[in-house]
This record gives sequence, C-alpha cells and structure tokens, in this order.
Amino acid sequence: MVKAVRGVLVECEPAIKSILVHIDSTNNNEFIIEDLDETHLFVKETMVHLLKQKLEDRLKETYRPEEPLEDSE
Amino acid sequence: MPPKRKAPPGQATASKAGRASAKSTPGPATPRSVGSSVMSEAEEDFDEDVSEAQRQREELLSQEADEFVTKFTFGGKRLQSQNNDTGGEGRRQDAATAFFRKRDFSHLPLKPDHQNRPLWIDPDSCTVVLERFNPLAEQATDFLITIAEPKSRPTFLHEYALTPHSLYAAVSVGLRPRDIINTLDRFLKTSLPDIVRKKIEDHTRSFGKVKLVLKHNKYFVESVDAEVLQTLLKDSVIGGLRVHGSDNFTTSFAPTMGGLVIPGTQNAAGLHQANLRQAGKNPGEGGNASNEADLFTALNEEDDDDDKEAVHAFEISDANVETVQKRCLDIGFPILEEYDFRNDDVNPNLEIDLRPNTQIRPYQEKSLSKMFGNGRAKSGIIVLPCGAGKTLVGITAACTIKKGVIVLCTSSMSVVQWRQEFLKWSNINPDDVAIFTAESKNKFSGSTGVIVTTYSMVTNSRERSHDSKKMMDFLRGREWGLMLLDEVHVVPAEMFRRVISSIKSHSKLGLTATLLREDDKISHLNFLIGPKLYEANWMELSQQGHIAKVQCAEVWCPMPTEFYDEYLRATARMRRTLYAMNPRKFQACQYLINYHEARGDKIIVFSDELYSLKQYALKLKKVFIYGGTSQAERMQVLENFQHNPAVNTLFLSKIGDTSLDLPEATCLIQISSHFGSRRQEAQRLGRILRAKRRNDEGFNAFFYSLVSKDTQEMYYSSKRQAFLVDQGYAFKVITQLANIENTPDLAFATPQESRELLQRTLVDNERGAEDDVETDDLFGRPGRGSGGGGGRGGRRGGAAGNGVRRTAGMLSELAGGHDMAYIEQNKAANKGLRGAKKKGAGADGQSKFFKGLQREKDKSKSRG
Repeated sequence: MVKAVRGVLVECEPAIKSILVHIDSTNNNEFIIEDLDETHLFVKETMVHLLKQKLEDRLKETYRPEEPLEDSE
Repeated sequence: MPPKRKAPPGQATASKAGRASAKSTPGPATPRSVGSSVMSEAEEDFDEDVSEAQRQREELLSQEADEFVTKFTFGGKRLQSQNNDTGGEGRRQDAATAFFRKRDFSHLPLKPDHQNRPLWIDPDSCTVVLERFNPLAEQATDFLITIAEPKSRPTFLHEYALTPHSLYAAVSVGLRPRDIINTLDRFLKTSLPDIVRKKIEDHTRSFGKVKLVLKHNKYFVESVDAEVLQTLLKDSVIGGLRVHGSDNFTTSFAPTMGGLVIPGTQNAAGLHQANLRQAGKNPGEGGNASNEADLFTALNEEDDDDDKEAVHAFEISDANVETVQKRCLDIGFPILEEYDFRNDDVNPNLEIDLRPNTQIRPYQEKSLSKMFGNGRAKSGIIVLPCGAGKTLVGITAACTIKKGVIVLCTSSMSVVQWRQEFLKWSNINPDDVAIFTAESKNKFSGSTGVIVTTYSMVTNSRERSHDSKKMMDFLRGREWGLMLLDEVHVVPAEMFRRVISSIKSHSKLGLTATLLREDDKISHLNFLIGPKLYEANWMELSQQGHIAKVQCAEVWCPMPTEFYDEYLRATARMRRTLYAMNPRKFQACQYLINYHEARGDKIIVFSDELYSLKQYALKLKKVFIYGGTSQAERMQVLENFQHNPAVNTLFLSKIGDTSLDLPEATCLIQISSHFGSRRQEAQRLGRILRAKRRNDEGFNAFFYSLVSKDTQEMYYSSKRQAFLVDQGYAFKVITQLANIENTPDLAFATPQESRELLQRTLVDNERGAEDDVETDDLFGRPGRGSGGGGGRGGRRGGAAGNGVRRTAGMLSELAGGHDMAYIEQNKAANKGLRGAKKKGAGADGQSKFFKGLQREKDKSKSRG
C-alpha cells in the first residue's frame, strides 16, 4: 500500500532552510517530510502555517525589530 | 564617612512617576542604548582594590546620579509638569495624523517666508533640525553650536538638542536669554513654541548666580547675592553639608550654627574676612532662618567693577562637592565652576608658552574659545575626532592658564607621549614636566610645573611603595590650575570621583573622541567634569584635510550551511566564535588584504575574538599582537609594520583599539567586534583618521566591517555604526566581492576544507578554554593569567589560560617516548620577525649570560 501525504514545496535561502530544519528537529520532526536539497524542502501541508509563525519568531531573535521611536507610545 | 543624602520618599516616587509618564526621553546630549550588557572588563579591574565600604558608597552615588540625570533631562517630569497644556486645540486631524503619533507638530503655524529659514523645532524634546542646504545655514550653525549640542550631522540635515547644559554654556559666554529667543525665532520656520521659550527662560535665568571656587585647597560656594546663598543654606541637603567654623577664623561662638561667611574679592583671593552670624536654628534642619540675609556684611563694596562685587561664600568639604553640585542644579541654581586664573596670585605662575612656530587649527581655536569664553577657565569636555590634535588643545589650554597642570592619561605609554608633546609644542623647561608612573616618580624642580600620570596611579588605593605614597601626598597637598583628563570616556565615573576627591584643581578639561558609553554613564561626566564645551564636525574636518577621508563599507558574508546549522545550535559564546570563523568571511578578509596590499596600503585587521584572531593570522601568515604578546615582541612587530615593506598587514586584538598611533595604516578590516559598542567602532576608525598620506590628491582610507549574514552580528553591526552615521559617515553594503573566487590560494575554497575548519573550531573551543586571556593593557596593568606563554607561535597557544585540565598519563608520553611527536604547524609570522632580529642582536653587545637571564625572567613572568 502506498501512503500519501499532502505536502508543500518550500523554496528558500540556505540560511532559512537551516533555521527551518532546526525548528523541525526541535519539534519532533513534525514539519518536514523530505529534505530535498540546499534550497528546497517538502513540508506537510497542514503545518505550513505554524512553521511560518515559528520562523517569524526565530527571525525576530536574530534581527531584533527596529526599536520604536523613543517617544511614540 | 560623610553623610549620605537620602532622597526623601515623596520625591523618589515623584521622580519614578515622572519617568513613566514622561515617555522616557533619553538625555538629549548623550545617545543611549539598551544593550548595556557590555561593560568592559577593564571596568571591573578598577574596582578590585577598593574597600567594600567605599564601593558601596560609590554605588549609592552612582545610583543617585542616575536618578538625578533622568530627572534633569528635558523629558523629565521636573520640566514637563508645567506644560501639560501642549497642543490640544489647534491640532488638525487628517488621514496621516495617526502615523506621527505624538510627533505631530502640524499645529505649529509655518511662517509665510518659511522657505528662507533654516530651522525646524520639536518642542517636546527641544530638538532643532537644521537644513544644511539653506542659504542661511552657516549663520544658523554658528548660533546653534553656541546654544545647543550637536546630535547628528550628516550631509544635509543636522540635529541639535537644547539642553540645560548647552544653554548654560551659552549664557556663560555672554548671550542673554532674550538674544537666544529672538535669534532662534528668526531662524525658525514656525513661530517659537511657548514651551520652548519658557524652558529657555527657566534655564537661563538663574545661571551663573552661584559659583564653586577653590581657595586654599578648600571648596567654597560663592555668590554675589546673599539671598541666594541663604536659600542654599536653608536647603535641607546643602545646609547640612557645610563645613562649620573650620576656617582660620577664631571667633566662632555658636558651634551649632556657625554661619561662617567669607566675603572676599575676586582679585584678592588670599584676603579672608568672615562674618559670624547667629541664628536660632541649624539650617540643616530647615528651620526658619529669616532675616539673616542682612547679617551678611560685605567688604570692598566700593569696587565698581562687576567682578569685584562683594562675594559671599561658605565652605563645603571635598567629599560633598558633587552632592552639592547636584542639589544646586536640582533646586534651580546651577553651580558655575570657573577659574579666574589671571587674578590668582596664590598659585605660582608656570613659565610655559606655545612655541612661536606652533599654529593651532581653526577648530582647535574655536574649542578653546569656548573654554575661555569670558576670560576665565570653565571646566568641561572637548570632543575632537581621533587624530585631530586633542593633545595640542590640552597643551594650549595649559599655556593659557599658566599654572600647575596635572595630566591624567590611560596608559604609561601615553604618559610618555604626553610629555614629549609638551616639550614639542611648548617652550616649557624639560625639568618642569614630570612623570609619575610605576617606573618613574619625578617631581618638577621649580615651584610649579606639569605632572603627567595615569588614572590608575592616582586612584590606586592599595598599599603603595614609599615613593608613590610620598608622591601622592605631594599631589594631594597642592592646588592645580588645570587638570587635563585624556580619553575621559574610558574611565568609569567612580574612578573620577576618586580622582576628583583626591586632587584639587581649579579647572578640569576632559578630552575625548567619542563621548559615549553603552552603559549610559556618560551623563555622569557632565556633573563630575562639566558640560560638553565643543564637539567638532568630523565631516568638516575631513573636508579640510585635518583628518583622512574614509570610505566605510560593510561586507556581508553568507554563512555556509554547515556553519549556520552549528550556529543555530550553539551557545552564545560559541556563536560569536562561529560567526567570526565563517570561512566566507575568511575569504573576504583574504581578498581584501590581497587587494589592498597590491595597492600599497598598510592594513590593520581587528578582531575581538582571540581564537579567530590567531587562526586568521596564522593561516594568512601575518603578524599579530594581542594581550598576551610580550612588550618586546609588540615593539618589534609594530616597528616592522611601520618600516618594513614586507610587513603590510597587522592583526590586532582589542588592545589596539585606542591610543595606538600608527599613521602608516590606511586600511582597516574588522572581523569581529564587541557587540554593539559604538565607541569601539569610532575608536577603531580613529586608527586610520590620522593617516600620513591623508593630504594626497584623491586619497581615501578604507574601513571594512565584515559581517556574517543572518546572524546577530548584523544587528550589532547596525548599532555600532550609529555614532559614525551621526557624524555623517555613510556605510556602503557590499554583498558580493567581485572575482573573489579567482584569488590564488583562496582559503577554505572547497566544502571539504570548510567542514574541516568547522570541526576544528568546534573541537578547539569546546572546552571554552579560549576565554579572553587578554587583558586590557590600557591601564598599565601587567597581563594577568598565563596568556604570556601562549601565542609564541603554538597553534593552541594561550588556550590553557583558564581551563586547566588534569589527566592521567605517563611522563614518557609527553617526552615523545610513546607514539606522540610534536610538530609545529602554522608557524606564526611573529616568529619570523624575531628570528631576523636575533641575528642582528648579537651586535648590541648583550652577553649570553644576560640574555639567558632575560629569558628566565620572561618565562617566570609569563608563568606567574
């Protein structure tokens, strides 16, 4: 029997791919179906949204967002 | 222990609330940053020899100063409270309003001819924006420099901030509040907002009423207006700090009150007269002290000159000077610290003048004219870029005052430099310039002179040798006309407190290139030394050829996937190593070195990361210097770098950041740096500003900052540049170096090699052994730890530094008796130099015996 999983092909820079793989490996490998090459990943369709969110969070750590104008609260 | 000031609880909460509501506007004069995790280790070094009690006291002082500084900015509650009626009516609402939030100033009406006027104003933060392209810009700049502090000066738009200090400086050079307001109004595109007008009036009205003077080695608070002094005495804080009846005056009757008032004239400082008052209550308790004012009698009232008006004064003790100063500012009577040196007959004059052929540059003259604005010496800080002749400014100031001078610098190396500069620029008798360091302790021959010393010599509170102790007593026992503080930004405020409380000087002049610290302590300097008197415009100086023109570039180096994977998993410390060791960065560095060496540039490469510094230098076969390099080796390397055409590239750790004078260097590459330290960036840039060849046609110096993409380095890098960008430097971003792949012997070109590098980096750093063995030589401390032995070429040199490991093994293993053999790979280029030198060394007559002795000494030193 062939088991099929619906997936999405994700194309990204190598650095981003590294981050995605890292997220995947710290979350019980529940995102990535197949690691294709330097710039491509095959990701479970249901998890794409969550993955995007996690990536955003991660990027925020690296590039801290612009500090808001000092007195623009 | 002197009495401490505790803020009354009510006040404390008020100030807190103030900070919360007042939008936490930072001090306009001093840029701050949040990432203040970056206190230098040097700082901790200072404190180790200080008693616990003193440290606590200093902490307290520093906290108080912090609170105070926050309160005393324009954003602070104190100044904001009176004008809550801002805006409100007259503010138009449109689609774009939301984007401006509180910075919407559309309610300020534009004048009909606003195109012809160069200034904008932000009434909330008192920031003035100047259009440099406006025809009136020149006049406006001159005016703004007098009344405001420059914040940012790129090509077209300059930003200035009106601060209490800048306004006070303006008043003290003779501008009247009315003039300031009128002129400002004339240049503004909008009408002058009432708030700003009020602030200016508030802050100029009471300036100059109270003075702090030093007479006979004692501090006095002086005023021509007896009532002002009364107000001060009635103040709960200041009243308590007054020194009671301790003067040469004998007729003190009421010791509880002891209202000692010493009137005198400016030109007869020696003549003391005092008048004793008796009042029912101690002013320290804030009791009623009414009708006391008339008890002040003044001498010499007849003197018609303004300066010779009767002056009233009371004494305060040395330890409390700062507290009183702060308190006075707080209650609206800022203390003016001026030294009327021409009328000082007490201290002997020093025979010193600039040599006739010495020409000072226009901006140096301008900065000094701010200091001596009204014929007296004001204390303060002058900010000039590195290489723009700060030393000469200091010397000229000394020549103007012509009294005893004490110069404090950061290292014993610069002590020697300062002395040489004194001899070079002025006609002072060489015997009158004395040096006080660990090695030499001279005194000047005459009655007065110049003493050059380091901060650490003066503040060291540990047991000292008999000689130094005698010397310190000598320094303490005198009054100095001028205290020159070199590189003021590096020294923590606590240290200044110690310096200032132990050495009495009439005026203080701080010199620096970068008046910033990431830990926000810079504002304290304003209280300890004085306001910023002058800040030079870097761009203008480089256009005039006083400093080199610099092209700045940031090179983005992508991280190879393996490195990036590791990076994601690594600890913070390892991350730093990894982004410094990025092979692409390595290649970029190699490429740039090749390129610039071919052009005939002399290159300095900076790395904060010790491990990568060594790896780079060894791999590229260049010379390097770091904290553990012995003094002799350093001199040798530096000499070779300067004169040997074969040595064009020098790798430096952070010990090279400041006070290293290498006019040959024309290109600078930075591979790793200290987080987001703007100061370091600016200081490093300073290394190439004094480039010898700066006046050649079309000459440019180059400043490259190599950054690993997608790492935190990007964030830090943008932070670091903030200061230089404010000075008008533009950073180009280079994402791709052309033809980099064609470089011969490109390092780590294959994925295989790059993986090997990664493995090695990981293994070598696993133990965390490569912790900074480096010590900042800056303060003349001999290197700690065992770094000295390292770096002698051995690849893993210095690694044993902190992480000593104990393993079981056989002695024969170490000796090579088993199957272990030593081979030295990657020989350090430093060694080559040494070899060359050795051959020549036989000639200088040192016998073998002494050489052996020297070697022994070196060894034991590096072990200890």
